Amino acid sequence: MSIPAEAGLYTQAVDDDKLTVSIGPQHPGAGHFRFTITVEGDTIVDAVPDPGYVHRGAEKQTEYRNYLQSIPMLERSSLTDVTNIIMPYSMAAEELMGIEIPPRAKYLRMIMSENQRILSHLYWMAIQGIFLGHSTSFMWPMGDREMFIDLGQILGGARVTYSFAIPGGVRNDLPEEFKGRAIKTFNHFERRLVDYERIFYNNPLFLKRTQGVGVLPRKEAISLGVVGQTLRASNVKSDVRIDEPYNFYKEMDFEVPSFDTCDTWARCMVHLIEMRQSMKIMRQCLDKMPSGPVRAKLSPQQRTIVGEAYTRIEAARGAMSFHIISDGSTKPYRVKISVPSMRNLIALPRLLIGSHVADMPAIYWSLDYWPVEADK
Amino acid sequence: MTNIISGTFKAFVAGVRQLPKRRMTMRYPDAQIDLKGYYTYDPKLGVAKAGYKGRHILWLDKCTGCQLCSIACENISQAIEMVKVNRAQPNNKKSIFPQVDYAKCVFCGLCVDACPFYALGMTQDFNLVSTTKKALVYPPEKLAIPPNVTRTKVEFKIEPDDAFHD
Amino acid sequence: MAAITNFEDFAKRILKIVFWLLIILPMVILPLFYIFYVLPIEISCNFNVLNCSQKIDWSLALYMFDPTKMNPLDPTSYISQLGLGATSPLFKVSTFPGLTFAALLSSMVIWYERKLLAKMQYRVGPLYAGRIEGILQSFADLFKLLFKEIVIPAKADALFFISVPFALMAASGALLAVIPISPTNYIALSPYSLLIAIAILGFFPIITVLAGWASSNKFSFIGGIRALYQMISYEIPLIISVLSVVILAGGSLDLMGIVNAQSKIWFIIPALLAAIVFYLTAMAEVERIPFDIPEADSELVAGWLTEYTSMVFGVINLAIYIKLYALSSLFTLLFLGGWQGPAPIPALAWFLIKTLIVMTIFIIPRGFNPRVRLDQLIGLGWLWLIGLSFANVFIAVILRASGLL
Repeated sequence: MSIPAEAGLYTQAVDDDKLTVSIGPQHPGAGHFRFTITVEGDTIVDAVPDPGYVHRGAEKQTEYRNYLQSIPMLERSSLTDVTNIIMPYSMAAEELMGIEIPPRAKYLRMIMSENQRILSHLYWMAIQGIFLGHSTSFMWPMGDREMFIDLGQILGGARVTYSFAIPGGVRNDLPEEFKGRAIKTFNHFERRLVDYERIFYNNPLFLKRTQGVGVLPRKEAISLGVVGQTLRASNVKSDVRIDEPYNFYKEMDFEVPSFDTCDTWARCMVHLIEMRQSMKIMRQCLDKMPSGPVRAKLSPQQRTIVGEAYTRIEAARGAMSFHIISDGSTKPYRVKISVPSMRNLIALPRLLIGSHVADMPAIYWSLDYWPVEADK
Repeated sequence: MTNIISGTFKAFVAGVRQLPKRRMTMRYPDAQIDLKGYYTYDPKLGVAKAGYKGRHILWLDKCTGCQLCSIACENISQAIEMVKVNRAQPNNKKSIFPQVDYAKCVFCGLCVDACPFYALGMTQDFNLVSTTKKALVYPPEKLAIPPNVTRTKVEFKIEPDDAFHD
Repeated sequence: MAAITNFEDFAKRILKIVFWLLIILPMVILPLFYIFYVLPIEISCNFNVLNCSQKIDWSLALYMFDPTKMNPLDPTSYISQLGLGATSPLFKVSTFPGLTFAALLSSMVIWYERKLLAKMQYRVGPLYAGRIEGILQSFADLFKLLFKEIVIPAKADALFFISVPFALMAASGALLAVIPISPTNYIALSPYSLLIAIAILGFFPIITVLAGWASSNKFSFIGGIRALYQMISYEIPLIISVLSVVILAGGSLDLMGIVNAQSKIWFIIPALLAAIVFYLTAMAEVERIPFDIPEADSELVAGWLTEYTSMVFGVINLAIYIKLYALSSLFTLLFLGGWQGPAPIPALAWFLIKTLIVMTIFIIPRGFNPRVRLDQLIGLGWLWLIGLSFANVFIAVILRASGLL
């Protein structure tokens, strides 16, 4: 049974050898996402994803709110990656409004964006630990995440959803205690990463479970159009921060990892290396930040020019882009969101077919699929 | 083979090294994170001042009843409603003030950003539990009371031996 | 009763009859048999049944109904005459070193495990039940479980479903019966006690599959089959590793004899490979991480335990922890010299200290290891562990034949 093309009742013959298991929304191993796998013995022969369980019509709802008022709604789609989902929206809106934001605001957006990247990767590592049965690897990242949530709280004013990067700049300036606290956090966390490597990434059992599992060759990765860590782990050095730089990434010195083994292990290692690079970027931002205003004067009912704007950034999970069509009023005419989770979903059936049932959690989560973001 | 043994041993050491260290858990509600400052907005400069976005605080003598906060929240969560209060004020002819329904509020703070008269702010009080839905609707007089945040506070510390080797 | 129409129904009927005859009836009839037939014989012969010199007094069976037969001036005579004293078999089976002692120890070990893992993971474990650091948490969980409803799924086979906790508890208790914990504290002394222990270990896979199948739930069924694969493929290395210890001890299968043979050197040194193999196979038998595939949370909810709810679940968990205690005591007796140690600490205390250390070593891999995949686990069991244990058998034979030990 392949992905259905039309609506209607589908029948299939019952086969004694094959067992159809529904990994449904009420399952500890799936999140709010349903997919059906057909199992023959210990091998998966068919996998059909069924997204849409948490669809809330975010794109339609932006047509009824002006640009500032959509921000709290949009950011709640992607909970661990809040700033990165509203940043392209703000950038596209600013393009349509025809304004330029001050440079200090761009640096602050970069700091918040990298903070979110670390938070998202730590959450990813926690759940990857659970899926592989490693309970310490769940508790440690969740504990260390608190330090970065505290950083976000000092700057943004809330623990998870800040509504920080609005059209026009950012909402508030950096308080004085941020820099000292941030440096302490980075030093501590870099030492913790060494411990993570010892207990998780270099653990022979982890290596046995992820090396050689779920291999996505380079050509297929490019032709399927996957983004983010999935692409970088398949030997393609592609990162929107370097290919199409935005904010001030051109002046930052960091490297983009890529591995040539194309398997689950490579995807896990990419997450680890990106965390280190994020801290490096944040340190450079804190040093290089100029002083000045952080918010351009805009009224909430700002009119825009008639036209379209398209922006793409590198969110924590991959390349995220917004396409806004405006008809000159204060509300957008159409907003189209392209999320990295949805673009990686196409790799899921391709990787699952032919692998063991026990590999299913490891492969599924290494694609970093976030159901709420994909269903918008 | 030696990789497996040395890898397992290093993982074991990394786990056991954690045993004598202090635990990270904070004994809430006896100890809480120290949240500093109110979140306020300066309409002349056009930027806000950083602070925790918790419960609102309303300075009644500055509010003119312009309804801009209510309009800002209208398409977000419709949590602010203007109600009539028995209070005569020269700058508020209709005597209407905002009332916040915390069952609906998403604590985004865009209402604070919309106020042009320095009347609205957000405090660090996040403990808004109640047993009835009616008690979650805070009328303007209740919003004007500053929050009571004198519980025992603990500054969330990173391990002393790790954190001070800069 | 439905009419028998084909062979499947016939087989089911036969299985039901066999099940009733072999399992349920003995659980009811055997205690009555013990109280009314065996107990008078034992008491009359002064607990020395083989050399009985006195006439059997059948009225002792009704002691609880006839107060004139007891001495009113000596209260303890009541207890020991009834076969309930501190040296009677009933006391040994039920209290010390039997079921109550093992259950209490296992409850404490559950708390200890949760605290140890919590410390390794940056957090507190149980904290509020009991004054000091949540020490009464296991008992709090027990009371909570007692208040919940026992749910039997409608499509499940109720008889098999509800017999699983009894069967597991019986098997775990039977394991305890042959393990001596000090030279004078044992329930049953037999020259074949090690063989009996290994034979009883073979019951557990059957009961696990029964639990998984009787739940009539796809996930539980898969979990039960996986548990079966795991336990069966790890029994053979277990038996062969024990064989090398038996060879080193001079061929005696008696646990007392094995401990006494370790007076010169503890068997962990010549039989190090066998100790490692026993450790890994015991972890697989008790389904601990890294071998806890049957209970893999993220794939199969809770494996073969999914449909079990309240006290049934509590009893099954307790039985598994008692099995862990029994296997740790076996490890202590076979490899670590049992109760031998320097003088001022009594033998019983040495045994308990060593068993607790072994249980800690069983618990710690849970803190830093992920789960092994099923085919990797079976490969490990059939290839590596059998090879290592055979190597140790050769070493043991060479050591014994050359007269070194």
